[in-house]
Amino acid sequence: MGRTWSSMNEFEAFLNEGGMVEVDDDMPDEYRATVFRFIELHANSELMGGLTERDWIPMTPGLRHKMTVLAKTQDEIGHGHLLYMVAADLGIKTRREMIEDLFAGRSRFHNVFHYPVRTWGDQVAICLLVDGAAVPSQKAVYKDCSYGPYKRILKRIIAEEGFHLRLGEERVLRISQGTDAQRAMFQQSINDWWWPALRLFGPDSKPDDKLARWRLKSEKNEVMRAGWVQKFVPMLHSYGFTIPDPGLTHDPETDTWTCGPIDWEPLKRTMAMDGPDTARRIAEASTAWETTQWVRNALDAAPAGVIA
Amino acid sequence: MTPGTIEFLLAFADDEHLMGQQHTEWIGIAPFLEEDMAFASIAQDELSHAALLYSIVADSGEGGEPDDQVINRLAFDRSAAEYRSAQIVEVACTEWAHALVRHWLYDTAEDLRWSLVKQSELESLRDAAAHAAREERFHIRHADGLIDVLLRTPDSAKRLADAVGELLPLATGLFDPASGEAEAIEAGVASAPFDTLLPEWADRVQTRFPDIDIGSISAPAFTGRMYRHDDFAVLITRINSVRGIDPTAVW
Repeated sequence: MGRTWSSMNEFEAFLNEGGMVEVDDDMPDEYRATVFRFIELHANSELMGGLTERDWIPMTPGLRHKMTVLAKTQDEIGHGHLLYMVAADLGIKTRREMIEDLFAGRSRFHNVFHYPVRTWGDQVAICLLVDGAAVPSQKAVYKDCSYGPYKRILKRIIAEEGFHLRLGEERVLRISQGTDAQRAMFQQSINDWWWPALRLFGPDSKPDDKLARWRLKSEKNEVMRAGWVQKFVPMLHSYGFTIPDPGLTHDPETDTWTCGPIDWEPLKRTMAMDGPDTARRIAEASTAWETTQWVRNALDAAPAGVIA
Repeated sequence: MTPGTIEFLLAFADDEHLMGQQHTEWIGIAPFLEEDMAFASIAQDELSHAALLYSIVADSGEGGEPDDQVINRLAFDRSAAEYRSAQIVEVACTEWAHALVRHWLYDTAEDLRWSLVKQSELESLRDAAAHAAREERFHIRHADGLIDVLLRTPDSAKRLADAVGELLPLATGLFDPASGEAEAIEAGVASAPFDTLLPEWADRVQTRFPDIDIGSISAPAFTGRMYRHDDFAVLITRINSVRGIDPTAVW
Protein backbone atom coordinates (compact mmCIF):
# COMPACT_ATOMS: atom_id res chain seq x y z
CA MET A 1 0.00 0.00 0.00
CA GLY A 2 1.24 3.47 -0.85
CA ARG A 3 0.37 6.76 0.74
CA THR A 4 -2.82 7.60 2.61
CA TRP A 5 -4.56 10.90 3.29
CA SER A 6 -6.80 11.51 6.28
CA SER A 7 -9.24 13.80 4.45
CA MET A 8 -10.13 15.20 1.04
CA ASN A 9 -8.67 18.54 2.16
CA GLU A 10 -5.37 16.90 2.89
CA PHE A 11 -5.47 15.07 -0.45
CA GLU A 12 -6.26 18.26 -2.36
CA ALA A 13 -3.45 20.05 -0.55
CA PHE A 14 -1.16 17.27 -1.79
CA LEU A 15 -2.43 17.81 -5.34
CA ASN A 16 -2.06 21.60 -5.01
CA GLU A 17 1.57 21.15 -4.13
CA GLY A 18 2.10 19.24 -7.36
CA GLY A 19 1.86 15.75 -5.86
CA MET A 20 1.55 12.75 -8.15
CA VAL A 21 -0.84 9.94 -7.26
CA GLU A 22 0.23 6.36 -7.94
CA VAL A 23 -1.88 3.24 -8.35
CA ASP A 24 -1.08 1.76 -4.95
CA ASP A 25 -1.90 4.99 -3.09
CA ASP A 26 -5.03 4.96 -0.94
CA MET A 27 -6.62 7.76 -2.97
CA PRO A 28 -10.10 9.12 -2.12
CA ASP A 29 -12.88 7.09 -3.76
CA GLU A 30 -14.21 10.11 -5.62
CA TYR A 31 -10.81 10.85 -7.15
CA ARG A 32 -10.37 7.17 -8.06
CA ALA A 33 -13.81 7.05 -9.73
CA THR A 34 -13.22 10.32 -11.59
CA VAL A 35 -9.81 9.28 -12.88
CA PHE A 36 -11.22 5.92 -13.88
CA ARG A 37 -14.15 7.43 -15.82
CA PHE A 38 -11.81 9.86 -17.55
CA ILE A 39 -9.37 7.14 -18.65
CA GLU A 40 -12.17 4.74 -19.59
CA LEU A 41 -13.68 7.41 -21.84
CA HIS A 42 -10.28 7.99 -23.40
CA ALA A 43 -9.68 4.24 -23.89
CA ASN A 44 -13.15 3.72 -25.39
CA SER A 45 -12.58 6.62 -27.75
CA GLU A 46 -9.23 5.29 -28.94
CA LEU A 47 -10.82 1.91 -29.65
CA MET A 48 -13.89 3.36 -31.35
CA GLY A 49 -11.58 5.66 -33.33
CA GLY A 50 -9.75 2.57 -34.55
CA LEU A 51 -13.05 0.95 -35.47
CA THR A 52 -14.11 4.10 -37.31
CA GLU A 53 -10.96 4.01 -39.42
CA ARG A 54 -10.74 0.26 -39.92
CA ASP A 55 -13.54 0.07 -42.47
CA TRP A 56 -11.50 1.98 -45.03
CA ILE A 57 -8.08 0.42 -44.49
CA PRO A 58 -8.56 -2.38 -47.05
CA MET A 59 -9.47 0.28 -49.63
CA THR A 60 -6.45 2.52 -49.05
CA PRO A 61 -5.31 3.72 -52.49
CA GLY A 62 -1.68 2.60 -52.44
CA LEU A 63 0.39 -0.32 -51.19
CA ARG A 64 2.83 1.58 -48.97
CA HIS A 65 0.10 4.06 -48.13
CA LYS A 66 -1.92 1.13 -46.79
CA MET A 67 0.95 0.11 -44.52
CA THR A 68 1.05 3.62 -43.07
CA VAL A 69 -2.70 3.78 -42.50
CA LEU A 70 -2.64 0.35 -40.95
CA ALA A 71 0.13 1.41 -38.60
CA LYS A 72 -1.86 4.47 -37.57
CA THR A 73 -4.97 2.48 -36.71
CA GLN A 74 -2.79 -0.08 -34.94
CA ASP A 75 -1.48 2.81 -32.83
CA GLU A 76 -5.01 3.93 -31.96
CA ILE A 77 -6.02 0.46 -30.83
CA GLY A 78 -2.70 0.15 -29.03
CA HIS A 79 -3.52 3.35 -27.15
CA GLY A 80 -6.85 1.82 -26.16
CA HIS A 81 -5.00 -1.29 -25.01
CA LEU A 82 -2.60 0.68 -22.80
CA LEU A 83 -5.34 2.89 -21.41
CA TYR A 84 -7.61 -0.04 -20.56
CA MET A 85 -4.78 -1.57 -18.55
CA VAL A 86 -4.14 1.68 -16.69
CA ALA A 87 -7.88 2.03 -16.02
CA ALA A 88 -8.24 -1.62 -14.95
CA ASP A 89 -5.47 -1.17 -12.37
CA LEU A 90 -7.76 1.24 -10.54
CA GLY A 91 -9.83 -1.79 -9.55
CA ILE A 92 -13.27 -0.59 -10.64
CA LYS A 93 -13.79 -2.66 -13.80
CA THR A 94 -11.67 -5.21 -15.64
CA ARG A 95 -10.60 -4.56 -19.21
CA ARG A 96 -13.15 -7.05 -20.48
CA GLU A 97 -15.94 -5.42 -18.48
CA MET A 98 -15.04 -2.05 -19.96
CA ILE A 99 -15.07 -3.41 -23.52
CA GLU A 100 -18.33 -5.25 -22.96
CA ASP A 101 -19.93 -2.13 -21.48
CA LEU A 102 -18.75 -0.19 -24.53
CA PHE A 103 -20.11 -2.70 -27.01
CA ALA A 104 -23.41 -2.92 -25.10
CA GLY A 105 -23.83 0.84 -25.35
CA ARG A 106 -23.47 1.27 -21.57
CA SER A 107 -20.42 3.54 -21.62
CA ARG A 108 -19.47 6.54 -23.66
CA PHE A 109 -16.93 7.48 -26.27
CA HIS A 110 -16.07 10.78 -27.92
CA ASN A 111 -18.64 12.46 -30.16
CA VAL A 112 -16.61 12.26 -33.38
CA PHE A 113 -16.78 8.48 -33.47
CA HIS A 114 -20.58 8.51 -33.61
CA TYR A 115 -20.45 9.71 -37.23
CA PRO A 116 -20.32 7.60 -40.41
CA VAL A 117 -17.21 7.59 -42.57
CA ARG A 118 -18.69 7.80 -46.04
CA THR A 119 -15.68 8.44 -48.23
CA TRP A 120 -11.91 8.22 -48.30
CA GLY A 121 -11.96 11.98 -47.82
CA ASP A 122 -13.64 11.43 -44.46
CA GLN A 123 -10.83 9.09 -43.47
CA VAL A 124 -8.32 11.83 -44.27
CA ALA A 125 -10.41 14.50 -42.53
CA ILE A 126 -10.38 12.42 -39.35
CA CYS A 127 -6.60 12.11 -39.58
CA LEU A 128 -6.29 15.91 -39.85
CA LEU A 129 -9.14 17.47 -37.90
CA VAL A 130 -9.83 14.85 -35.23
CA ASP A 131 -6.21 13.95 -34.55
CA GLY A 132 -5.58 17.67 -34.70
CA ALA A 133 -8.06 18.12 -31.85
CA ALA A 134 -6.83 15.08 -29.92
CA VAL A 135 -3.23 16.29 -29.71
CA PRO A 136 -3.89 19.59 -27.86
CA SER A 137 -6.52 17.91 -25.66
CA GLN A 138 -4.11 15.18 -24.62
CA LYS A 139 -1.26 17.63 -24.14
CA ALA A 140 -3.50 19.61 -21.81
CA VAL A 141 -4.05 16.50 -19.71
CA TYR A 142 -0.42 15.40 -19.82
CA LYS A 143 1.05 18.79 -18.91
CA ASP A 144 0.17 18.70 -15.22
CA CYS A 145 -1.59 15.35 -14.83
CA SER A 146 -1.86 14.29 -11.18
CA TYR A 147 -2.26 10.56 -11.88
CA GLY A 148 1.18 9.12 -12.54
CA PRO A 149 0.34 6.00 -14.60
CA TYR A 150 -1.88 8.02 -16.94
CA LYS A 151 0.70 10.75 -17.38
CA ARG A 152 3.40 8.24 -18.32
CA ILE A 153 1.16 6.53 -20.90
CA LEU A 154 0.08 9.88 -22.33
CA LYS A 155 3.68 10.77 -23.12
CA ARG A 156 3.84 7.92 -25.62
CA ILE A 157 0.32 8.46 -26.94
CA ILE A 158 0.96 12.15 -27.65
CA ALA A 159 4.19 11.35 -29.49
CA GLU A 160 2.34 8.90 -31.75
CA GLU A 161 -0.63 11.21 -32.27
CA GLY A 162 1.84 13.83 -33.44
CA PHE A 163 2.92 11.45 -36.21
CA HIS A 164 -0.71 10.85 -37.13
CA LEU A 165 -1.34 14.56 -37.42
CA ARG A 166 1.67 14.97 -39.70
CA LEU A 167 0.36 12.07 -41.79
CA GLY A 168 -2.96 13.89 -42.05
CA GLU A 169 -1.22 17.09 -43.11
CA GLU A 170 0.75 15.27 -45.80
CA ARG A 171 -2.35 13.56 -47.15
CA VAL A 172 -4.32 16.80 -47.28
CA LEU A 173 -1.43 18.51 -49.05
CA ARG A 174 -1.44 15.80 -51.73
CA ILE A 175 -5.22 16.01 -52.13
CA SER A 176 -5.08 19.80 -52.32
CA GLN A 177 -2.68 19.46 -55.26
CA GLY A 178 -4.78 16.71 -56.78
CA THR A 179 -7.61 16.40 -59.25
CA ASP A 180 -11.02 18.08 -59.16
CA ALA A 181 -12.60 14.83 -57.96
CA GLN A 182 -10.18 14.61 -55.04
CA ARG A 183 -10.66 18.22 -54.04
CA ALA A 184 -14.46 17.98 -54.26
CA MET A 185 -14.45 14.85 -52.13
CA PHE A 186 -12.29 16.46 -49.48
CA GLN A 187 -14.30 19.68 -49.42
CA GLN A 188 -17.39 17.60 -48.64
CA SER A 189 -15.46 15.86 -45.86
CA ILE A 190 -14.49 19.21 -44.34
CA ASN A 191 -18.14 20.22 -44.51
CA ASP A 192 -19.15 17.04 -42.69
CA TRP A 193 -16.35 16.80 -40.11
CA TRP A 194 -15.55 20.44 -39.23
CA TRP A 195 -18.25 20.85 -36.62
CA PRO A 196 -18.03 17.40 -35.04
CA ALA A 197 -14.27 17.85 -34.66
CA LEU A 198 -14.69 21.35 -33.21
CA ARG A 199 -17.28 20.08 -30.73
CA LEU A 200 -14.79 17.44 -29.54
CA PHE A 201 -13.37 20.07 -27.15
CA GLY A 202 -16.76 20.37 -25.45
CA PRO A 203 -18.57 23.48 -24.19
CA ASP A 204 -16.71 26.21 -22.32
CA SER A 205 -15.13 24.93 -19.10
CA LYS A 206 -16.93 25.68 -15.85
CA PRO A 207 -15.09 27.76 -13.23
CA ASP A 208 -15.39 25.00 -10.62
CA ASP A 209 -14.27 22.20 -12.96
CA LYS A 210 -13.27 19.27 -10.79
CA LEU A 211 -11.01 17.90 -13.51
CA ALA A 212 -9.02 21.13 -13.42
CA ARG A 213 -8.93 21.24 -9.62
CA TRP A 214 -7.57 17.70 -9.51
CA ARG A 215 -5.09 18.44 -12.28
CA LEU A 216 -6.58 16.10 -14.86
CA LYS A 217 -6.90 19.04 -17.23
CA SER A 218 -4.67 22.06 -17.37
CA GLU A 219 -6.36 24.05 -20.13
CA LYS A 220 -9.86 25.37 -20.65
CA ASN A 221 -11.94 23.84 -23.45
CA GLU A 222 -12.56 27.20 -25.08
CA VAL A 223 -8.85 28.00 -25.19
CA MET A 224 -8.03 24.69 -26.87
CA ARG A 225 -10.93 25.11 -29.30
CA ALA A 226 -9.80 28.59 -30.25
CA GLY A 227 -6.28 27.28 -30.89
CA TRP A 228 -7.65 24.55 -33.15
CA VAL A 229 -9.69 27.06 -35.18
CA GLN A 230 -6.65 29.29 -35.45
CA LYS A 231 -4.53 26.42 -36.73
CA PHE A 232 -6.89 24.84 -39.25
CA VAL A 233 -8.74 27.79 -40.79
CA PRO A 234 -5.62 29.35 -42.36
CA MET A 235 -4.24 25.93 -43.30
CA LEU A 236 -7.37 24.85 -45.17
CA HIS A 237 -7.85 28.29 -46.72
CA SER A 238 -4.28 28.18 -48.01
CA TYR A 239 -5.12 24.92 -49.79
CA GLY A 240 -8.18 26.53 -51.37
CA PHE A 241 -10.82 24.85 -49.21
CA THR A 242 -13.69 26.62 -47.49
CA ILE A 243 -14.84 26.34 -43.87
CA PRO A 244 -18.54 25.53 -43.32
CA ASP A 245 -19.03 28.27 -40.74
CA PRO A 246 -20.98 31.34 -41.93
CA GLY A 247 -20.22 33.04 -38.59
CA LEU A 248 -16.45 32.66 -38.89
CA THR A 249 -14.70 36.00 -38.37
CA HIS A 250 -11.18 37.26 -38.84
CA ASP A 251 -9.52 40.05 -36.89
CA PRO A 252 -6.92 41.48 -39.28
CA GLU A 253 -5.10 43.34 -36.52
CA THR A 254 -4.33 40.21 -34.53
CA ASP A 255 -4.72 37.83 -37.50
CA THR A 256 -7.08 35.79 -35.35
CA TRP A 257 -9.91 33.57 -36.56
CA THR A 258 -12.97 33.07 -34.37
CA CYS A 259 -15.72 30.56 -35.04
CA GLY A 260 -19.39 31.46 -35.16
CA PRO A 261 -22.09 30.27 -32.73
CA ILE A 262 -21.79 26.56 -31.91
CA ASP A 263 -24.83 24.28 -31.95
CA TRP A 264 -24.33 21.89 -29.04
CA GLU A 265 -27.37 19.73 -29.75
CA PRO A 266 -25.45 17.19 -31.86
CA LEU A 267 -22.95 16.78 -29.00
CA LYS A 268 -25.78 16.14 -26.56
CA ARG A 269 -27.20 13.49 -28.84
CA THR A 270 -23.87 11.67 -29.08
CA MET A 271 -23.50 11.90 -25.29
CA ALA A 272 -26.90 10.19 -25.11
CA MET A 273 -25.57 7.47 -27.47
CA ASP A 274 -27.86 8.70 -30.22
CA GLY A 275 -25.46 9.99 -32.86
CA PRO A 276 -25.90 9.52 -36.61
CA ASP A 277 -23.93 6.24 -36.70
CA THR A 278 -23.95 5.18 -33.04
CA ALA A 279 -26.33 2.26 -33.32
CA ARG A 280 -24.65 0.70 -36.37
CA ARG A 281 -21.16 1.18 -34.95
CA ILE A 282 -22.03 -0.40 -31.62
CA ALA A 283 -24.01 -3.23 -33.22
CA GLU A 284 -21.17 -4.16 -35.58
CA ALA A 285 -18.59 -4.10 -32.80
CA SER A 286 -20.85 -6.11 -30.56
CA THR A 287 -21.52 -8.74 -33.23
CA ALA A 288 -17.81 -9.11 -33.99
CA TRP A 289 -17.09 -9.45 -30.27
CA GLU A 290 -19.76 -12.14 -29.84
CA THR A 291 -18.62 -14.17 -32.84
CA THR A 292 -15.13 -14.51 -31.39
CA GLN A 293 -16.30 -15.37 -27.87
CA TRP A 294 -15.20 -18.97 -28.43
CA VAL A 295 -11.56 -17.84 -28.62
CA ARG A 296 -11.73 -16.03 -25.30
CA ASN A 297 -13.52 -19.01 -23.76
CA ALA A 298 -10.72 -21.31 -24.87
CA LEU A 299 -8.07 -18.97 -23.52
CA ASP A 300 -9.93 -18.66 -20.21
CA ALA A 301 -10.08 -22.44 -19.95
CA ALA A 302 -6.36 -22.87 -20.55
CA PRO A 303 -4.37 -23.82 -17.46
CA ALA A 304 -1.96 -21.25 -16.09
CA GLY A 305 1.37 -21.38 -17.86
CA VAL A 306 0.03 -22.58 -21.21
CA ILE A 307 -0.21 -19.06 -22.54
CA ALA A 308 3.31 -17.74 -22.83
CA MET B 1 15.27 -9.55 -66.17
CA THR B 2 13.59 -12.25 -68.29
CA PRO B 3 9.80 -12.51 -68.62
CA GLY B 4 9.93 -15.83 -66.77
CA THR B 5 11.73 -14.32 -63.80
CA ILE B 6 9.26 -11.45 -63.76
CA GLU B 7 6.36 -13.90 -63.67
CA PHE B 8 8.06 -15.88 -60.90
CA LEU B 9 8.52 -12.73 -58.81
CA LEU B 10 5.00 -11.47 -59.50
CA ALA B 11 3.51 -14.73 -58.24
CA PHE B 12 5.41 -14.30 -54.98
CA ALA B 13 4.54 -10.59 -54.76
CA ASP B 14 0.86 -11.20 -55.46
CA ASP B 15 0.67 -13.81 -52.71
CA GLU B 16 2.30 -11.47 -50.21
CA HIS B 17 0.12 -8.57 -51.30
CA LEU B 18 -3.18 -10.37 -51.05
CA MET B 19 -2.22 -12.16 -47.83
CA GLY B 20 -1.40 -8.80 -46.24
CA GLN B 21 -4.62 -7.39 -47.66
CA GLN B 22 -6.68 -10.16 -46.10
CA HIS B 23 -5.06 -9.59 -42.70
CA THR B 24 -6.02 -5.90 -42.81
CA GLU B 25 -9.66 -6.96 -42.53
CA TRP B 26 -9.12 -8.16 -38.97
CA ILE B 27 -7.89 -5.03 -37.25
CA GLY B 28 -10.54 -3.98 -34.75
CA ILE B 29 -12.62 -7.14 -34.89
CA ALA B 30 -10.15 -9.82 -33.77
CA PRO B 31 -11.00 -11.67 -30.53
CA PHE B 32 -8.99 -9.33 -28.29
CA LEU B 33 -6.94 -6.17 -28.57
CA GLU B 34 -3.57 -7.90 -28.73
CA GLU B 35 -4.80 -9.83 -31.77
CA ASP B 36 -6.02 -6.67 -33.48
CA MET B 37 -2.49 -5.36 -33.19
CA ALA B 38 -0.81 -8.64 -34.11
CA PHE B 39 -2.80 -9.03 -37.32
CA ALA B 40 -2.08 -5.40 -38.14
CA SER B 41 1.65 -5.99 -37.66
CA ILE B 42 1.71 -9.13 -39.73
CA ALA B 43 -0.33 -7.43 -42.45
CA GLN B 44 2.21 -4.62 -42.56
CA ASP B 45 5.06 -7.12 -42.89
CA GLU B 46 3.37 -9.00 -45.74
CA LEU B 47 2.49 -5.80 -47.58
CA SER B 48 6.06 -4.67 -47.09
CA HIS B 49 7.36 -7.92 -48.61
CA ALA B 50 4.99 -7.39 -51.54
CA ALA B 51 6.28 -3.85 -52.02
CA LEU B 52 9.87 -5.15 -52.00
CA LEU B 53 9.09 -7.84 -54.57
CA TYR B 54 7.12 -5.50 -56.84
CA SER B 55 9.96 -2.99 -56.62
CA ILE B 56 12.44 -5.66 -57.73
CA VAL B 57 10.21 -6.32 -60.75
CA ALA B 58 9.92 -2.60 -61.43
CA ASP B 59 13.60 -1.88 -61.00
CA SER B 60 14.81 -0.41 -64.24
CA GLY B 61 18.39 -1.32 -63.45
CA GLU B 62 19.34 2.34 -63.43
CA GLY B 63 19.57 2.57 -59.66
CA GLY B 64 17.23 4.27 -57.26
CA GLU B 65 14.12 2.82 -55.75
CA PRO B 66 10.97 2.66 -57.91
CA ASP B 67 8.39 5.17 -56.74
CA ASP B 68 5.05 4.29 -55.22
CA GLN B 69 3.12 4.83 -58.43
CA VAL B 70 5.18 2.23 -60.27
CA ILE B 71 4.69 -0.27 -57.46
CA ASN B 72 0.98 0.53 -57.29
CA ARG B 73 0.50 -0.10 -60.99
CA LEU B 74 1.93 -3.60 -60.55
CA ALA B 75 -0.03 -4.24 -57.38
CA PHE B 76 -3.40 -2.89 -58.48
CA ASP B 77 -3.70 -2.20 -62.19
CA ARG B 78 -3.33 -5.65 -63.77
CA SER B 79 -6.30 -7.61 -65.04
CA ALA B 80 -7.54 -10.63 -63.07
CA ALA B 81 -5.97 -12.91 -65.68
CA GLU B 82 -2.58 -11.28 -65.12
CA TYR B 83 -2.45 -11.96 -61.40
CA ARG B 84 -0.49 -15.03 -60.33
CA SER B 85 -1.73 -15.31 -56.75
CA ALA B 86 -2.67 -18.62 -55.15
CA GLN B 87 -6.33 -19.11 -54.33
CA ILE B 88 -5.61 -19.42 -50.60
CA VAL B 89 -4.87 -15.68 -50.47
CA GLU B 90 -7.88 -14.82 -52.63
CA VAL B 91 -10.54 -16.65 -50.66
CA ALA B 92 -12.50 -14.62 -48.10
CA CYS B 93 -12.07 -15.93 -44.54
CA THR B 94 -14.86 -14.42 -42.49
CA GLU B 95 -14.38 -16.74 -39.51
CA TRP B 96 -11.46 -16.05 -37.23
CA ALA B 97 -10.56 -19.76 -37.02
CA HIS B 98 -10.10 -19.72 -40.78
CA ALA B 99 -8.09 -16.51 -40.68
CA LEU B 100 -5.79 -17.99 -38.04
CA VAL B 101 -5.35 -21.31 -39.84
CA ARG B 102 -4.67 -19.55 -43.14
CA HIS B 103 -2.11 -17.35 -41.37
CA TRP B 104 -0.31 -20.46 -40.07
CA LEU B 105 -0.50 -22.41 -43.35
CA TYR B 106 0.64 -19.42 -45.36
CA ASP B 107 3.51 -18.37 -43.12
CA THR B 108 4.79 -21.90 -42.79
CA ALA B 109 4.92 -22.11 -46.60
CA GLU B 110 6.32 -18.60 -46.89
CA ASP B 111 9.17 -19.44 -44.54
CA LEU B 112 10.17 -22.29 -46.89
CA ARG B 113 9.67 -20.10 -49.96
CA TRP B 114 12.09 -17.41 -48.82
CA SER B 115 14.71 -20.10 -48.13
CA LEU B 116 14.79 -20.80 -51.86
CA VAL B 117 15.87 -17.28 -52.72
CA LYS B 118 18.21 -16.51 -49.83
CA GLN B 119 21.19 -17.17 -52.12
CA SER B 120 19.62 -15.63 -55.19
CA GLU B 121 21.75 -14.11 -57.91
CA LEU B 122 19.53 -11.04 -57.46
CA GLU B 123 21.10 -9.07 -54.64
CA SER B 124 17.86 -7.21 -53.85
CA LEU B 125 16.01 -10.51 -53.53
CA ARG B 126 18.72 -11.92 -51.23
CA ASP B 127 18.37 -8.85 -49.04
CA ALA B 128 14.59 -9.18 -49.03
CA ALA B 129 14.88 -12.85 -48.04
CA ALA B 130 17.14 -12.06 -45.10
CA HIS B 131 14.75 -9.34 -43.98
CA ALA B 132 11.66 -11.51 -44.37
CA ALA B 133 13.14 -14.57 -42.67
CA ARG B 134 13.56 -12.62 -39.43
CA GLU B 135 9.92 -11.56 -39.54
CA GLU B 136 8.53 -14.96 -40.49
CA ARG B 137 9.87 -16.50 -37.29
CA PHE B 138 7.66 -14.12 -35.33
CA HIS B 139 4.65 -14.71 -37.55
CA ILE B 140 4.81 -18.46 -37.07
CA ARG B 141 5.49 -18.12 -33.36
CA HIS B 142 2.41 -15.92 -33.08
CA ALA B 143 0.14 -18.39 -34.85
CA ASP B 144 1.65 -21.37 -33.00
CA GLY B 145 1.09 -19.74 -29.62
CA LEU B 146 -2.61 -19.37 -30.27
CA ILE B 147 -3.07 -22.74 -31.93
CA ASP B 148 -1.31 -24.45 -29.01
CA VAL B 149 -3.99 -23.14 -26.68
CA LEU B 150 -6.97 -23.48 -29.01
CA LEU B 151 -6.25 -27.14 -29.77
CA ARG B 152 -6.66 -27.96 -26.05
CA THR B 153 -10.39 -27.20 -25.99
CA PRO B 154 -12.82 -29.42 -27.96
CA ASP B 155 -14.93 -26.59 -29.38
CA SER B 156 -12.01 -24.50 -30.57
CA ALA B 157 -10.07 -27.57 -31.76
CA LYS B 158 -13.03 -28.54 -33.93
CA ARG B 159 -13.25 -25.05 -35.40
CA LEU B 160 -9.57 -25.21 -36.30
CA ALA B 161 -9.92 -28.70 -37.75
CA ASP B 162 -12.83 -27.60 -39.92
CA ALA B 163 -10.78 -24.65 -41.12
CA VAL B 164 -7.81 -26.88 -41.96
CA GLY B 165 -10.08 -29.23 -43.87
CA GLU B 166 -11.51 -26.41 -45.93
CA LEU B 167 -8.34 -24.42 -46.51
CA LEU B 168 -5.65 -27.05 -46.96
CA PRO B 169 -6.51 -27.86 -50.61
CA LEU B 170 -6.30 -24.17 -51.49
CA ALA B 171 -3.11 -23.70 -49.45
CA THR B 172 -1.44 -26.49 -51.41
CA GLY B 173 -1.84 -24.21 -54.39
CA LEU B 174 0.88 -21.98 -52.94
CA PHE B 175 3.32 -24.55 -54.32
CA ASP B 176 1.75 -24.38 -57.79
CA PRO B 177 4.60 -22.97 -59.91
CA ALA B 178 4.06 -19.93 -62.07
CA SER B 179 5.20 -20.65 -65.60
CA GLY B 180 8.41 -18.66 -65.20
CA GLU B 181 9.78 -20.66 -62.29
CA ALA B 182 12.08 -22.89 -64.37
CA GLU B 183 13.51 -19.81 -66.07
CA ALA B 184 14.05 -18.13 -62.70
CA ILE B 185 15.92 -21.20 -61.44
CA GLU B 186 17.98 -21.30 -64.62
CA ALA B 187 18.94 -17.66 -64.04
CA GLY B 188 19.96 -18.38 -60.43
CA VAL B 189 17.12 -16.26 -59.04
CA ALA B 190 15.83 -19.24 -57.05
CA SER B 191 17.66 -22.39 -56.04
CA ALA B 192 14.96 -25.03 -56.65
CA PRO B 193 11.28 -25.44 -57.58
CA PHE B 194 9.02 -24.48 -54.69
CA ASP B 195 7.09 -27.74 -54.90
CA THR B 196 10.22 -29.68 -53.91
CA LEU B 197 9.45 -28.32 -50.43
CA LEU B 198 5.82 -29.43 -50.50
CA PRO B 199 6.56 -32.69 -48.61
CA GLU B 200 8.36 -30.76 -45.87
CA TRP B 201 5.44 -28.32 -45.59
CA ALA B 202 2.99 -31.26 -45.46
CA ASP B 203 5.06 -32.80 -42.64
CA ARG B 204 4.90 -29.53 -40.72
CA VAL B 205 1.14 -29.35 -41.25
CA GLN B 206 0.69 -32.92 -40.04
CA THR B 207 2.84 -32.29 -36.96
CA ARG B 208 0.92 -29.11 -36.18
CA PHE B 209 -2.47 -30.75 -36.59
CA PRO B 210 -1.86 -34.37 -35.56
CA ASP B 211 -5.55 -35.28 -35.38
CA ILE B 212 -6.11 -34.50 -39.04
CA ASP B 213 -5.16 -37.05 -41.69
CA ILE B 214 -3.85 -34.66 -44.26
CA GLY B 215 -3.25 -37.50 -46.70
CA SER B 216 -7.01 -37.88 -46.97
CA ILE B 217 -7.50 -34.33 -48.13
CA SER B 218 -7.30 -34.07 -51.88
CA ALA B 219 -5.73 -31.01 -53.42
CA PRO B 220 -6.65 -29.67 -56.86
CA ALA B 221 -4.21 -30.19 -59.72
CA PHE B 222 -1.70 -27.44 -60.38
CA THR B 223 -2.68 -25.04 -63.17
CA GLY B 224 0.21 -22.59 -63.18
CA ARG B 225 -1.82 -20.15 -61.06
CA MET B 226 -3.94 -19.21 -64.07
CA TYR B 227 -7.33 -19.29 -62.38
CA ARG B 228 -8.68 -16.89 -59.78
CA HIS B 229 -10.89 -17.93 -56.87
CA ASP B 230 -14.53 -16.86 -57.02
CA ASP B 231 -13.87 -14.37 -54.21
CA PHE B 232 -11.15 -12.58 -56.19
CA ALA B 233 -13.52 -10.26 -58.07
CA VAL B 234 -15.02 -8.89 -54.86
CA LEU B 235 -11.58 -8.61 -53.28
CA ILE B 236 -9.98 -6.66 -56.13
CA THR B 237 -13.02 -4.40 -56.48
CA ARG B 238 -12.77 -3.57 -52.80
CA ILE B 239 -9.01 -2.96 -53.07
CA ASN B 240 -9.46 -0.60 -56.01
CA SER B 241 -12.64 1.18 -54.91
CA VAL B 242 -10.88 4.44 -53.98
CA ARG B 243 -8.28 4.31 -56.74
CA GLY B 244 -11.11 3.75 -59.20
CA ILE B 245 -12.75 7.07 -58.35
CA ASP B 246 -10.14 8.91 -60.35
CA PRO B 247 -7.40 6.86 -62.06
CA THR B 248 -5.25 9.97 -62.49
CA ALA B 249 -5.29 10.89 -58.81
CA VAL B 250 -2.31 10.61 -56.48
CA TRP B 251 -3.41 10.07 -52.88
